[in-house]
Amino acid sequence: MSTDLFATVFVPIADPDDAGETARSIAPYLEPDSELLVAHVVPKGGGVPDKASVEQREEYAEEAYETFREQLPEAVSMTPVTLYGRDVGETIVEGAVEAGATAIVYTPRGVSRWIDLLTGSVSDDLLENGELPVVVLPGDDE
Amino acid sequence: MSDEELAKDLGPLAALTIGVGTMIGAGIFVLPGTAVARAGPLAAATFVLGGVIALFTALSASELGTAMPKSGGAYFYINRALGPLFGSISGWANWLGLAFASAFYMYGLGEYVNTLVGAPALAVGPLALEAAQVIGLVGALLFIAVNYVGAKETGGLQIVIVLLLLGILAVFTAVGLLNADLESLRPIAPPGTTGEVLPVTAIVFVSYLGFVQITSVAEEIKDPGRNLPRAVIGSVLLVTTVYALFLVVLLAAVPNELVAGNDTAVVDAARLLFGQYGAFGFDLSVLGWGMLLFGGLLATASSANASILSSSRINFAMGREKIVTPELNEIHDRFGTPYRSIAITGGLIIVFLLAGNLELLATAGSVLHLIVYGLLNLALIVMREAEPPGYDPDYEVPLYPVVPIVGAVTSFALIIYIEPLVVVLSAGLVAFAILWYFLYARKRVESSGVLAQWILDRSEEMPDAAVSAASSVQPEPEGYRVMVPLSNPATEKHLITLGSAIASQNDGTVVAVNIANVPDQTSLAAALERGAHDAAQDLLDRAEADAETFGVDVETHVVLSHRTFEEVFDAARTYDADVTVMGWGEDAHGSPGRAESAIDELAYSLPCDFLVFRDRGFDASRLLVPTAGGPDSALSAAVARMLRAEFDSEVTLLHVAEEGEAAEGRAFLESWAAEHGLEDAEFLVETGDVEGSIERAAREATMLIIGATERGLLSRLVRGSLVLDVLYDVDCSVLLAEKKHERSLLDRLFGSGARGEDADERGIEPAATSHGNDAAPE
Repeated sequence: MSTDLFATVFVPIADPDDAGETARSIAPYLEPDSELLVAHVVPKGGGVPDKASVEQREEYAEEAYETFREQLPEAVSMTPVTLYGRDVGETIVEGAVEAGATAIVYTPRGVSRWIDLLTGSVSDDLLENGELPVVVLPGDDE
Repeated sequence: MSDEELAKDLGPLAALTIGVGTMIGAGIFVLPGTAVARAGPLAAATFVLGGVIALFTALSASELGTAMPKSGGAYFYINRALGPLFGSISGWANWLGLAFASAFYMYGLGEYVNTLVGAPALAVGPLALEAAQVIGLVGALLFIAVNYVGAKETGGLQIVIVLLLLGILAVFTAVGLLNADLESLRPIAPPGTTGEVLPVTAIVFVSYLGFVQITSVAEEIKDPGRNLPRAVIGSVLLVTTVYALFLVVLLAAVPNELVAGNDTAVVDAARLLFGQYGAFGFDLSVLGWGMLLFGGLLATASSANASILSSSRINFAMGREKIVTPELNEIHDRFGTPYRSIAITGGLIIVFLLAGNLELLATAGSVLHLIVYGLLNLALIVMREAEPPGYDPDYEVPLYPVVPIVGAVTSFALIIYIEPLVVVLSAGLVAFAILWYFLYARKRVESSGVLAQWILDRSEEMPDAAVSAASSVQPEPEGYRVMVPLSNPATEKHLITLGSAIASQNDGTVVAVNIANVPDQTSLAAALERGAHDAAQDLLDRAEADAETFGVDVETHVVLSHRTFEEVFDAARTYDADVTVMGWGEDAHGSPGRAESAIDELAYSLPCDFLVFRDRGFDASRLLVPTAGGPDSALSAAVARMLRAEFDSEVTLLHVAEEGEAAEGRAFLESWAAEHGLEDAEFLVETGDVEGSIERAAREATMLIIGATERGLLSRLVRGSLVLDVLYDVDCSVLLAEKKHERSLLDRLFGSGARGEDADERGIEPAATSHGNDAAPE
């Protein structure tokens, strides 16, 4: 039995810039019947007030989906998925499994090591998940 | 679980600890010294009094919080209820109040750390800094940095800190109780202290800032209908009890002299009390000293942290309403924090910390919060009275309206007892917030408050001054606004077509207003209940659909009124119209002819340009524009230009010259046309009888666009005393144009009837610049 890796792709986006870049990178790989789930995680405090207002983060998510949509070819449709969680990487993997995704596809963001240290690397979390294939696409501007 | 539930992850204990953790801050650790020095044993009473005042506002905040669990808390409710002017005041006051309070917490932190390390005072150039300020500065930078990068707190940290704090205070209280000597509380009121109670209450009130912070994260609380009131009211009751017990025991257990005027009195008191005990040969005084010191650090830190966080929520809510630029709230793409807002708040904290002293910072924080609390109680009254749709609180204030009235009065009254310098400073800030609204925010904010809408919807029952003031402080949204009052379904389409064409040429918005006539015998409230609003909505739905075919933005409003014609003028002001396009016909807008003087007064002061359409079918293919010069004919030229651009109309200009002056007449018409961007129109110069000429020329036209020849044309029109009979005689549709002439803002604010002769600021003319140098000087 073979499954198309790009049948149901789960695409995490971090912010509007990242959304635009990811959309441009993924466009060439999409089949007309690919299902595209674009996910943004609203980071939650999990018992403490959040770093930024949830309402504000939801507006931010909408902005990111909008940028993503603008960069996609007309024919392709996408479904936005807003997730909430304390651990961004873990939330993405859980969301993808729950949605029945065939792969998690993302473009990495170039980040300095000390910021990674402070905020934790989402990329590592995704790569270390044991459940789904992960496709890392090269970004179009470094 | 639904998304909504996932977004809410603060349980009841977490919500309670936000309030308690913010309140048990520097207040109880730093201020007993000041309070006892001035009020003696009555200091305990000042803390209780502060708590009682806070409790009234806490009840009001709870109701508003359950009705509107939105980000921004107190600011949001005040803005929604009282409108953006008060929104500006409360937003700035809340934001800066939190910055002052945070600076105060940091100062307190500095005092505590200084007790530990004994840092020297510092003098940098002309700036002499206390040791506590220097340490506070370092602390402030640390907390700002932590919030800026958004370091992850563990979920339970806040709860642990608060429980630890309460534990420390409980141990101290228990040990103090064992050593309490009621004698040291006597005299309870040493001479001269009773008069100090209220002023001292005003100072220690800073210890109660924090319960409203729970509402600023209301959107994140699970089951807010239940948990929010419990957390808000519970935290005030808990904190008041803790403060009162703590102070009474403190004063009963150690000599008053040790406490009075000592900024770290509780630490010294603990050393003394614990020093009486020993365990395993150790003197426990160090334990007591260390415990209270640690408590002081925790308390000031958690208060400052919560305040910085809360202020970024207020910034977000202000930015969303465009009272400040939304760019302030940009989210950091890595840290996920509103970093700009935090950086600016941090800058303010540092400036205040360096410039102020302990008492100034505490009282400035208090006054600004008291202003917010007073307004919050008023907001509750407005919401209850106006009952806007969707206002459905799960928790309701008991004994309404007593609670919010007492809450508002006590909050405002306590300000009187604060150091005059600080009050003046705060008054300056309020003045700044008012100016900020009028000079910056007014053009940007979009929504008006419940209060203004409520007054304007009842403009007849309300005193004129209130109506006038309410409409004068309404937001003035940018962009071109074309108001179309509608009442007759038969003419709706043509008026909307005309309005949309003008709006489309100016990238503007069509504001369709249905002024529903309510018979004099029926009260407006009764009409409202009978669904007059719903009935009026049908017409507006059609208007909206028609306007959307032109691709312009549409906004719709229903106004219930007894006097439909006069209401048009009020509505033009309320909705900030640049031009009003209205119908004129047998039953277009109420029966003309009555209340002549009132209409005269109204029509003499036109709030915007008016286009009055006599509908004999809408056909803009051949326009006739008679002119004799003047500002109103300039308006008709502008309208002709816009219709030509939208409908590709043929335009004919007509000038009726004196007998034998046809050549001069032609020269006038050519230069007038050039001035108004209509050079390529067809020119028609006639001599002799004006009305006869217009009538003859109109036979070839589909629409006659005519400027008012003098002011007050509209008023004569409604009275039926129009001199130009020709308007009744022609077969084509007629569009009458009259330019805005307005009383000044000051006149309107005070409702005076003085007729100013203000020059037009923003009529139809300056907007139409697509034809080169056609802006005619007036």
